[in-house]
Amino acid sequence: MNRNRFILHLNVADFAVAVERVVDLTLREKPVIVAPLQAARAAVYDMSEEAYRDGVRKGMLLNRATRMCRKARVLPPRFELYRKAMGSFVNEARSYSPVLEYGAEDGHLYLDITGTHRLFGTPPDVGWRLHRQIRSKLEIDPIWSLAGSKLVAKIGSRLVKPVGEYIVADGEEQRFLAPLSLNLLPGLSSVERQRLGQFNIVRIGELASLSRVQLHGVFGRRGESLFALSRGIDDSTVRPEEDRPPRLVRDHIFSNDCADRSVLKGVVGALAVQLGMELRSTRMEARRVGLRLDYTDGTSVSRQASVRQGIADDDSLLGLALTALERGLTRRTRVRSCRLIGDRLHPRSPQLRLFTDPATEQKKEHLLAAMDRIRQRFGREAIRMGSHPVLH
Amino acid sequence: MTGTSGYSYLEWVDSGFYPPGTRSAAMLSLYGRSFSVVELNYTWYQMARSDVLARMLAAAPAHIVFAAKLTRTVTHEREEDWREQVQRYRQGIGALGKRLAAILVQLPPDFDRTVSNRHFLAELLDYLQGMPVAVEFRHASWAVDTVFAELERRQVTLVSVDEPDLPGLFPRLDVVTNPALFYVRFHGRNEKGWKNGNMQKKFDYDYSEQELHQWCEHELGSLSSRSRRGIIFFNNHVRAQAPRNALLLDSLIRKKVGRSG
Repeated sequence: MNRNRFILHLNVADFAVAVERVVDLTLREKPVIVAPLQAARAAVYDMSEEAYRDGVRKGMLLNRATRMCRKARVLPPRFELYRKAMGSFVNEARSYSPVLEYGAEDGHLYLDITGTHRLFGTPPDVGWRLHRQIRSKLEIDPIWSLAGSKLVAKIGSRLVKPVGEYIVADGEEQRFLAPLSLNLLPGLSSVERQRLGQFNIVRIGELASLSRVQLHGVFGRRGESLFALSRGIDDSTVRPEEDRPPRLVRDHIFSNDCADRSVLKGVVGALAVQLGMELRSTRMEARRVGLRLDYTDGTSVSRQASVRQGIADDDSLLGLALTALERGLTRRTRVRSCRLIGDRLHPRSPQLRLFTDPATEQKKEHLLAAMDRIRQRFGREAIRMGSHPVLH
Repeated sequence: MTGTSGYSYLEWVDSGFYPPGTRSAAMLSLYGRSFSVVELNYTWYQMARSDVLARMLAAAPAHIVFAAKLTRTVTHEREEDWREQVQRYRQGIGALGKRLAAILVQLPPDFDRTVSNRHFLAELLDYLQGMPVAVEFRHASWAVDTVFAELERRQVTLVSVDEPDLPGLFPRLDVVTNPALFYVRFHGRNEKGWKNGNMQKKFDYDYSEQELHQWCEHELGSLSSRSRRGIIFFNNHVRAQAPRNALLLDSLIRKKVGRSG
């Protein structure tokens, strides 16, 4: 890419803890662990730097974490609060550029400030001012890093975590990356790291010294990505919300981690019904349903099922969701949470289907509409199809 | 020597100082075609790192010398561990070696001459002992003889500033506290922009030839007659006014030297 790009990455380390500390000042400078308290085998959702230094890690069993860090205050996660805080965080950044990309409530945010210099001044100054603004208004202290790509900006943030700033000048990318550990390189799987370790490659510069042919020989087609990653080459754009395809997301966190298939089916079924209600109320249809399962041990798996024609009825959505579940349930490990995603959305066509009986279709629609009304009035669990799995 | 505060401005490509399509990485070598000294801004935003500075030095034209701002976490957003930060800064900036002309200690506008601030500044200068240091005050309360005498005793340069004539701001002076170096910063005289706080407005000012001529005849003449070396920076970077004004002042100085020589 010939044009100078300026990507600002802001990252609030331990976002959930940072938000809890804004709400409760007594938590400052004390070890804090965020984890569901009721669960028998609860796992750590987030922890403060002090707890991290004592050995606590995300996904670790709470019992073990509290043994490692006995002084830690344990708090239940408040996702709604984190979502609101994330919204405020994003709003502050929005005043400097409309091109921003962010996660749900993870405290990460990319801002493309290319071309804003006449309005706001030099890119480092924008980073500094935005940081100062967020710190004074929201009382959280994000890391900020500035580079010519998302990849290098993210590595800069990782380097100074939990607080600080990093500016990687144009043309400095490869020399900046060379001495760094491979652990700092985003997008590198643990299997790939292990494989590189077998070749005694532990630094990014060592990886960058390999030719395309050498990387292809070991990693196949993936070698091309590794070639670019190790050189800090990343042309991916900051994707603003409106550029991302719309999708509907429904989450469920098990109060006790669960491996019982019938319970999992019940939960996934209930999420599919919620998706269906949302689709029908907005007169939309989905062509794909994705399911993400987060296991107790911190790993996760995502599977999808799709159809050619858009759907919005509970039966069809449930069918896709259960297919995705069957595809994803390859382990006997317990599941901590699951997320059902409906995407490839499009408005529902007013045209009638050619090869179905209009009377039956209409009947089905009336039935679903009636059920939706009952659910809206008496709650989601008030009524369900007899054929659908039971939510335990 | 004249130069500008910072050199990496994409705006200077739009304004014609750098050729079209110039990337940030190529700017310092192009800058070196016009100037021999530059003030590094980036060390204000983040801690000076020896590896980064060594790489910059390797790519910079050999004749360029540098002035570097002290990090904001020591001056503007002082953190508890500022003493350790100064040590880290000294280590980092050491990479510039003999090409370091001065460390610029820029103090914020609300940094007035209170007892605690005086103690802080004294301690800071102790920590920077042995380095070529220049102090820029923004608050008028520091414009007193005892301050100048103390700077002189420490061989620390007092930065002369040209900025809007607003109450409370440090006045335009030609005091020499260190005969080894005088240091001048031209911020522009945009009164409205100064109050606004937006950098693009604050430093949007184009010095007229007459204004620069006055500086040349009065303050600069006086400063240079009492110092062995002097560096002059233009901070009015908006629309590449800084390099244009620096080149203009440079030509005026040359004319004056030619006349007197």
